Amino acid sequence: MSENKRLLIIDDDPDFVSGIRSILEKAEYKVSVAYNPKEGFEALEKDPPDLLLLDVMMGRGAEGIMLARKLRKDPVLREIPVLIITGIREQIAYLFPGEQVHPGFVAVDELVEKPVDPKFLLERVSALLKASEERKQQTS
Amino acid sequence: METSLTFSKEIANLLYAQHGNPIKDCIQCGTCSGSCPAVEFMDHSPRQIIAMIGADMKDEVLTSNTYWSCASCYQCNVRCPAGIDIAGMMYGLKRYTMWKDDYKENLVGPHFAESFMKMIMRTGRSFEPVLAPTYIFKLDAKDMFQEALMATSLFFKGRMSLVPKKIKRLDNFRNIVKRIIPFGGTA
Amino acid sequence: MKKFAYYPGCSLESLSLSYHQSAIESTLALDVELNEIEDWNCCGATAYFHADELLAHTLVARNLAIAEKDGLDFVAPCSGCYKNAYFTNQQLHEEPDLADHINYALEEDNLHLDGTINVKHLIEVFIDDIGLEQLKSKSIHPLEGLRVAPYYGCQLVRPRKDGENVENPQFFEELLSAIGAEPVDYGTKMRCCGGSLIMTNREAALDMVFQLLLDAAKQETDVIATICPLCNVNLEAYQKQVNQEYKTEFKIPVMYFTQLVGIALGIDPKKLGIGKELISSGELEKFASKETG
Repeated sequence: MSENKRLLIIDDDPDFVSGIRSILEKAEYKVSVAYNPKEGFEALEKDPPDLLLLDVMMGRGAEGIMLARKLRKDPVLREIPVLIITGIREQIAYLFPGEQVHPGFVAVDELVEKPVDPKFLLERVSALLKASEERKQQTS
Repeated sequence: METSLTFSKEIANLLYAQHGNPIKDCIQCGTCSGSCPAVEFMDHSPRQIIAMIGADMKDEVLTSNTYWSCASCYQCNVRCPAGIDIAGMMYGLKRYTMWKDDYKENLVGPHFAESFMKMIMRTGRSFEPVLAPTYIFKLDAKDMFQEALMATSLFFKGRMSLVPKKIKRLDNFRNIVKRIIPFGGTA
Repeated sequence: MKKFAYYPGCSLESLSLSYHQSAIESTLALDVELNEIEDWNCCGATAYFHADELLAHTLVARNLAIAEKDGLDFVAPCSGCYKNAYFTNQQLHEEPDLADHINYALEEDNLHLDGTINVKHLIEVFIDDIGLEQLKSKSIHPLEGLRVAPYYGCQLVRPRKDGENVENPQFFEELLSAIGAEPVDYGTKMRCCGGSLIMTNREAALDMVFQLLLDAAKQETDVIATICPLCNVNLEAYQKQVNQEYKTEFKIPVMYFTQLVGIALGIDPKKLGIGKELISSGELEKFASKETG
């Protein structure tokens, strides 16, 4: 199921990245990483992955949201399923204490909060890839 | 295959969008430190912080008060022969430590910044009296008394209001912020 | 009559009300109208850059978008607000993706920023738009013999915008000369006053204020002229604390440049907020007591 599926992680936290990378690689996904939004977007254009795992807070601030919106404007890149994995509640929640983190206005496929359970992560990745496959088959 | 990113690379990524040259271009000339008006009150000079980042000394950098003592006067920026945005780096380090909630003990800076930001979320404007609790209790009795005296004189000169002002379109304002920082339930 | 979109900033509402009053009065007397931007929000000062730079730019962009509706150039009397507005404006021109993202957010308040207006500091209005010649000719009570230290501070001139002289600009001295005053040779004129460090690192800020007062005193300064509310508060309201800390006896009045301009133009001192200082501007009495125009 996961054979030859390529994943791209865009996240600035090296410890978190090495953690989920090993989980995903054990499940036989091919994983690439970019640690800042600029390199991330370049990687997306050069070699569009089957799924994007995207952080929110990196570089100057909530860059992940800006990147996700930019993707949705590109005819090729908008087809890539996006899974946001964010630690925003620890990082900046004091601005809006007690509120939900919402992907609402940004068309991402799913948003989960850190820390993320390995089994749950693999489940969601697999589900999103499957849904994306089905969409592609419907349109072709 | 690298196991994990070095601290210097982490900071380089944090500052990926900065104008000017990357901090690894630093030639350690010390012009920044010599120009900095607050350097005597910093644990490490700007030059030292840059060297420490290059040497991956993560713990020492995170527990330094250097960037929290930066006044953003940009004197270092306009003089740096390597064209590095040093003040931008100071902001970046503040952001990094606030996001990670990992900074030197007993600093006023982080709590002040947090209070300031919450205050603007509440009313859209800045209101000094709200900020006082962040620093006033760190002063010794004599300074605290002086501060209270000054506040009273300002009040009697009509320069200190007791009620914060609110902007009219506060709800819209908050919704603007929520489109940048995704909080608040479904859209 | 020349018009500008005027952004007072949070400090000018009460703490530095005299700056606001003297700004409106002095520009009006020189045929310039400062139209206050409606429903403006705080520019975020430096604190928002500690949390999220994209959000910091957004706060500023809302004010620029409101100003843009009237098509007037944006004028800020506070160096901090000015610096934020200038560089956010510049950044949004340089980075269309960011402009797009911020405009998406501004939709929530029915605003959109095209980036068609310029950003100025209030002092630039006097120097570029009004012009020093006009200023000189309208100064009916030139401040002759008054030794004034032109305190530029930091964020008016830095960061560098266009290759200009940031080590020894003279425009503030020229303005003071135009209103008849004697600008003092003030070596620390662009050294930081400490800004918000006065709250977050009191020790450092008091030292920075001390250095500035020491230099002004050495030059036998009658008045320190400021172009930023935070600089003014640090130099004036904290003089007592500096004296306590350093066992000095400074008693130097600190005034806004617009108040000095106002007096030279013959405006009633009360309208310029004079009388609200913590350190009374004794020397200015003799200019202010002349018949007002």
